[in-house]
Amino acid sequence: MRNLINFVLKHFAWIAFFTFVTISLMLLFRFNAFHNYIFLSSANSVSYSIHSVKNSFTSYLNLKETNSDLLIRNAELENRIIYLQNRLSEYELQEYNDSIPDEKLIPGYKYIIAEVINNSISKPYNYILLNKGKADGIEPEMGIVDHNGVIGIIDIVGEHASRAISLLNPKFRLSCKVKNHDFFGSLVWGGHDPSTVLLEEMPRHVDFEKGDTIITSGYSAVFPEGLLVGTIIDTEKDKDDNFLSFKVKLFTDFSQLKIVRVIKNDRLAEISSLNEHQPK
Amino acid sequence: MANKLIGYVSLFIILILLQSVVFNQICLFNIAVPYVFIFFIFRLPININLNLLFLLSFLLGFSVDIFSDTLGMNALACTLIAAIRKPVYSLFTPKDDDNDIIIPSIKKMGYSTYILYAGSLSFIYCCLINVIQAFSFFDVIMLILRSVASSILTIIIIFAIESLISSGSEKRL
Repeated sequence: MRNLINFVLKHFAWIAFFTFVTISLMLLFRFNAFHNYIFLSSANSVSYSIHSVKNSFTSYLNLKETNSDLLIRNAELENRIIYLQNRLSEYELQEYNDSIPDEKLIPGYKYIIAEVINNSISKPYNYILLNKGKADGIEPEMGIVDHNGVIGIIDIVGEHASRAISLLNPKFRLSCKVKNHDFFGSLVWGGHDPSTVLLEEMPRHVDFEKGDTIITSGYSAVFPEGLLVGTIIDTEKDKDDNFLSFKVKLFTDFSQLKIVRVIKNDRLAEISSLNEHQPK
Repeated sequence: MANKLIGYVSLFIILILLQSVVFNQICLFNIAVPYVFIFFIFRLPININLNLLFLLSFLLGFSVDIFSDTLGMNALACTLIAAIRKPVYSLFTPKDDDNDIIIPSIKKMGYSTYILYAGSLSFIYCCLINVIQAFSFFDVIMLILRSVASSILTIIIIFAIESLISSGSEKRL
């Protein structure tokens, strides 16, 4: 017994060492088990306040690009308003003919504007920190877009901050399709280049061309159909030869995220409860 | 003694803040990330109690992890680097008596020896971090490139900080 105690005392440092290594490995490989502990992620209040102080300084640096971006976007939107007003007056005329409203015009989606206060593009798993949280109506599994296209999906929600899984994260797969076709595939990040992603599982028998636009398919209930994602720049064979996969250049520049919109789908709870009833 | 303690506590906090606010945002040529906070481990006295060394290193890595959403990654690498710190130190320095407190610094060791000590530890650290990350993406050339580039950047910044502290106020730390 005394020998045992002596042994333990003598090698206590190594026991401490292996304890810390074990704790680290547990945190590393079982992070999902700790998902409920907000203080373990960068959405905790200390980290959030430090990052937002940093952001209040660094946000000035990108003002010029942000401004020119907004001006361009503004011009686009003004054009679009004129176009839509024309369409609207056309439809108003048509409405006299048939008074049945178009089902697709009924919106089930709302937007919440949020600011990006921390963002990474260089790590293998990238996350985005937003300055809106539970108090502003944000819940897990909401989609995020900016004026150029899809960005990610909310993951952990704090009271005034929330963390999102970026599109540049292999944990996030997005159901997408090629514009004007109905064939859909799954979009995932390749892991190196923050400006390109892979669109996998596309059928081989259809001809797609470089420059075709990729949009969301609307199958996920998180993103509505038709949000812009990117353009095809290269075609390559999938691992199992039965499918094609495309290299897609993203419209969004992930290194310059600033203002984003969080999509609130009023029917999300309803749709996800339906999905749970599916036979396994 | 109290001065030293305050010095170490403030170094700990400053390095974590610097790492999470400044250095984590740097990613030179998309491959090199400076891991400057490990300077704290380099700076601890060589004959410090091993338990304390492991605890401090783990806490250091863990704090940085929380700020940068890489749970467990830096904590693991910091604990491992703490374990090999003393053998690496004695590899480059002649053996002298263990009674007085030795703080590894340029003044104590000279430029070349300090670069060897800090450089090899930084390189091992960057390799560890990249190998841990490589559990998800395996790409050997990228792994080596990232480790070498990151460690060079880390050494340059750590050397600058060390020269600053050594020349300015050697007595304080």
